[in-house]
Amino acid sequence: MRRAAAWLTATVLMVAAGTASASPEEARQWLERMSEALATRNYEGLFTHSTATQSESMRIVHRVEDGYSLERLVSLDGSGREIIRTREEVHVYLPDRHVVLVEPRSDAGSLLKALPTPATHLEACYELAVHKGGKLLGREVRVVDIRPRDAMRYGYRLWLDAETAMPLRSVVGEGAGEGQPVEQIQFTRLDIKARIPDKDIEPSVDATGFQWIRMGRNAALVQMPGAGWAPLHLPPGFRLVASRLQLLPGSPVPAQHLIFSDGMAAISVFIEPGPATGPSPPESSTMGSANAFSTSVQGHVVTVVGEVPAATLREVAASVVPLQGGSSAAPASRP
Amino acid sequence: MTDQIREQVSALLDGELPPDEVGLLVRRMERNRELRGAFGRYSLIGETLRAPGGLVASPAFAARVSAAIDAPQGVQPGLRRPAASARARWGRPAFAAAIAASFALIAVIAVQPFAGREAAVVAAHTAAAPSGSALGGEASPTPARSQRLAGYLVAHSQFSSPIVRQNVWSGLLAADPGLSRVSYETVEGP
Repeated sequence: MRRAAAWLTATVLMVAAGTASASPEEARQWLERMSEALATRNYEGLFTHSTATQSESMRIVHRVEDGYSLERLVSLDGSGREIIRTREEVHVYLPDRHVVLVEPRSDAGSLLKALPTPATHLEACYELAVHKGGKLLGREVRVVDIRPRDAMRYGYRLWLDAETAMPLRSVVGEGAGEGQPVEQIQFTRLDIKARIPDKDIEPSVDATGFQWIRMGRNAALVQMPGAGWAPLHLPPGFRLVASRLQLLPGSPVPAQHLIFSDGMAAISVFIEPGPATGPSPPESSTMGSANAFSTSVQGHVVTVVGEVPAATLREVAASVVPLQGGSSAAPASRP
Repeated sequence: MTDQIREQVSALLDGELPPDEVGLLVRRMERNRELRGAFGRYSLIGETLRAPGGLVASPAFAARVSAAIDAPQGVQPGLRRPAASARARWGRPAFAAAIAASFALIAVIAVQPFAGREAAVVAAHTAAAPSGSALGGEASPTPARSQRLAGYLVAHSQFSSPIVRQNVWSGLLAADPGLSRVSYETVEGP
């Protein structure tokens, strides 16, 4: 009888161990493995991208070549849009607009530089957990929960292939994605490959006659008058990771571009001279989990973009001011 | 002009046209004089039937609407500064208010430079909407506006983590629900 009770206790403990959340440290390790897999493996897959209003099929092809991450992402429904990531640039083919947007890569350089790893301060903003999650695409998965510690950012739930750590499914939403998802990606096929042929990472769009719009940095750019703006308030944990001048479609004058990150999500703040016609009404738009909000501040247009709730962006935009002396400085992150 | 477009014009005047169809219809009206004329006639009929106390608008009313549409650039209509409005600004205002908003809308179309038209359209439209939230309206952005939004996203995504970038790029490639549903917001005046 005693032996049976011990067996029962051991069984219950084993089952509990299999389903309970592991330590945050283990979750972090899974995130690091995922980041490394995404950046270093050759793979080709089909997935469904869903938001509250629509669902669309996509194809992704990723190849690592001499330490560079090359990529092709194609919309298989409707628009036929494609994004190609070459060694030096990102090309966005918009056949429905007869336009190709070209942006220099910001991570050009060594593989190590391109390897993103979860920021050390990630756990200050999110609770991390990992547990077993059954099977997806016939593979065992680990489910990593990245739960925000406040309502100013989204949470994530990631289903990672237990063998390769490649993400097979991801859900973005409030909490750790348990509620109404804002956006989700579900792979219906994912093949890890030894080799990806050239043709698979070349665009299928015939861009003859398209307008090519070059964005990004330009050595000839002169610091725009009035540069030196910053948001006075940011959600806790967001830190300035880059600042640059950025050319954008439709304007010969570069925008000041500030990028802040909490280790998972990023917020970009663009500041550019306002139109001669005077201030425009504030505008907002939503693209899955990414939001954008534009408003006028002292004769300039401030546009804030990020994978955070729209309310967060509004708050950031409302705090953007020109800095005394016209030089950029890291803004205060709210305690 | 097809029955479907007639229905859209009628819905616009009744304040019942879905926001994402407003921009399309407005652009169609800009190109199509017959459609603009029909809009004026429908407005006249509506005003005649529903004007308080049975007042009848002047016979030249439709002509004036068309004239407003064709007015040269530079004539700024007097837009009211809109009150904070509900997101559901298309929710059935009184017909007279809808008419007033719609005429303000058309007049603005006629005098705004292209890049600012749709923002002005919705700003004008929301002038007659009931008060509520700060959100003013939604419309299809111009191609230039779409490209600019795409530009912001691409520049931004360079600094996203790989898993987040996959989301951002997928959103950009999708049949742009967000890009075609830009909300133009209005703010409370002093």
